[in-house]
Amino acid sequence: MRTVRFNAQTMLAVIAVILGLLMIFPIYLLLISSMRSEANVLEVTWFPVEFVWQNFKEVVVSTNMMRSIGNSLFVSITVTIVAMIFHSMYGYALARLHFPGRNLIFSWTLSTLMVPFAVITIPLYLITKNFGMLNSYAGLIVPSIFNAYGIFLFRQFYRDFPKELEEAAYIEGLSIAGTFFRIALPLSRSIIIPLTIGFFVANWNSYLWPLIITQSESLWVVQQQLANLVGGGYYTPWNVVLAAAVIAAIPTLILFFAAQRYLVEGIKMTGIK
Amino acid sequence: MSRVPPGGLPEEGKPVVLKKLRTRAMQERITAYCFLLPDLIGLFIFVFLPIIYAFYVSLHDWDALNPMKFIGLDNYVALSKDMDWWHSVGKTLQFSVIYVPLLFCLSLGSALLLNGLRGKVVSPARTMFLMPYAITSVISAIIGMYMLDPRNGIINEIIRFFGGSSQQFLGSPSQAIYSIIAVLLWINIGYNMIIFLSAIKEIPRDYFEAARIDGASRWQTFRKITFPLLKETNTFILVVTTIGSFQVFDQIMVMTKGGPASSTEVSVIYIFKQGFQLLNMGYSSALAFVLFLLIFCLSLVQMKLFSTKD
Repeated sequence: MRTVRFNAQTMLAVIAVILGLLMIFPIYLLLISSMRSEANVLEVTWFPVEFVWQNFKEVVVSTNMMRSIGNSLFVSITVTIVAMIFHSMYGYALARLHFPGRNLIFSWTLSTLMVPFAVITIPLYLITKNFGMLNSYAGLIVPSIFNAYGIFLFRQFYRDFPKELEEAAYIEGLSIAGTFFRIALPLSRSIIIPLTIGFFVANWNSYLWPLIITQSESLWVVQQQLANLVGGGYYTPWNVVLAAAVIAAIPTLILFFAAQRYLVEGIKMTGIK
Repeated sequence: MSRVPPGGLPEEGKPVVLKKLRTRAMQERITAYCFLLPDLIGLFIFVFLPIIYAFYVSLHDWDALNPMKFIGLDNYVALSKDMDWWHSVGKTLQFSVIYVPLLFCLSLGSALLLNGLRGKVVSPARTMFLMPYAITSVISAIIGMYMLDPRNGIINEIIRFFGGSSQQFLGSPSQAIYSIIAVLLWINIGYNMIIFLSAIKEIPRDYFEAARIDGASRWQTFRKITFPLLKETNTFILVVTTIGSFQVFDQIMVMTKGGPASSTEVSVIYIFKQGFQLLNMGYSSALAFVLFLLIFCLSLVQMKLFSTKD
């Protein structure tokens, strides 16, 4: 009986590892192929056979990739920080403060979750244009901030927040805003970290909205630059494209390895209704 | 036996406490509205208003440059006869019908597999399954194009190794949609797997213990215990991935731009082309509004279906 069980376990482990390797194989292939020369890049290889660092140099020198990475970092970080501040305040008010219209505002906020982004791009483009934010950092940043998902998760978090801390703050004479900023917010790390990662990755990933809102290449974000490299002409310089893709993947891969625990935490949160 | 002394509470106490409470309540309201204001305005302008605005614009003929011209429901009449539009709706449904069940089953399967693992292999296995999630959509599209290259791609190399002949994949009207689905499955399994996995872990162990004692097989345990108890998660994943599948844009735009021969031209791509390439703002808004209603009804139906059934 013991051996049967052991064998079943081993078999499961072997299957899991094989499938797991299959899952990461494309990333491995991207990595080793990004270091191949232009002449050989389309020749299939299973192992790293050459190391042409020139590809990466070419991305830096002859494309605007670095500028786009800067844009993406700027936009993603700004959106994330502002979103965290706004959404935590909104979530806290909905969870802990009493005011007329609370239920109405909460239901309305939830209903905005039903609005699919890809469907509203045209009116959103027109509205953003009316605000004079076309082809600008503001146009990239401002519409990306507002998202009921973040609000909802903050609300869930603050609903379970210990009341005693707030009462203590009240007795100490702190205002309500002071209680939030000096007591509640500093104790919200367990929600802020996964949400920060989630927001950053989502914005780093964003392609459709920047594609619509920007015209000048100086404003392009990473994903646009990459998409342009691969579809820009009849000939695709695969060695440069793959090297650029590797560079563009670095921030999210670093986050993945450095903060996998929080990433998983964040995913689990979105799954809870 | 503490009775209120004649004349009520001590004179100095009552009004002060009441006043303090009242100012506190006032302060709370003011703070609340201040806290709500930034997001309330933002959500209204950038999420809520667009849906209403889409309907308003859809009643007009407009190229985004010249003044709008009110034409009533003409755009809706036009779209009902637009065969390219219905082709794109068909493509969207085809995509969804293939992609959603596959993603559901593969994610659930991966979660069950990982849940069955014990010991040192658990953590690396989870990392490997989740890692593609860290690859963004455009990069995944690039990797897909590279691997599926008709002449030199590694997938064709493997097919040839086993004696098959090279396939066109993204260049073939019948294979392109499956190629895109494969790429999307690859980067999205990890995320859904984690949600399933955490839901499975929340099922009380006693249930499995009881099933084991009763001599239930693995399949019976899954069918009678695990799957029914995952009902909420199943609904969640189905609704979210269905809505998501109606909105896939990035990979299609990069890999095929809707081609070849419109074989991957889903509704979102068609709307994008009508709006931003042909500048038919009114018409594309009408299309977007119809797609919105479609997604809305579908997710309602889906929620009803999966929440009333035992």
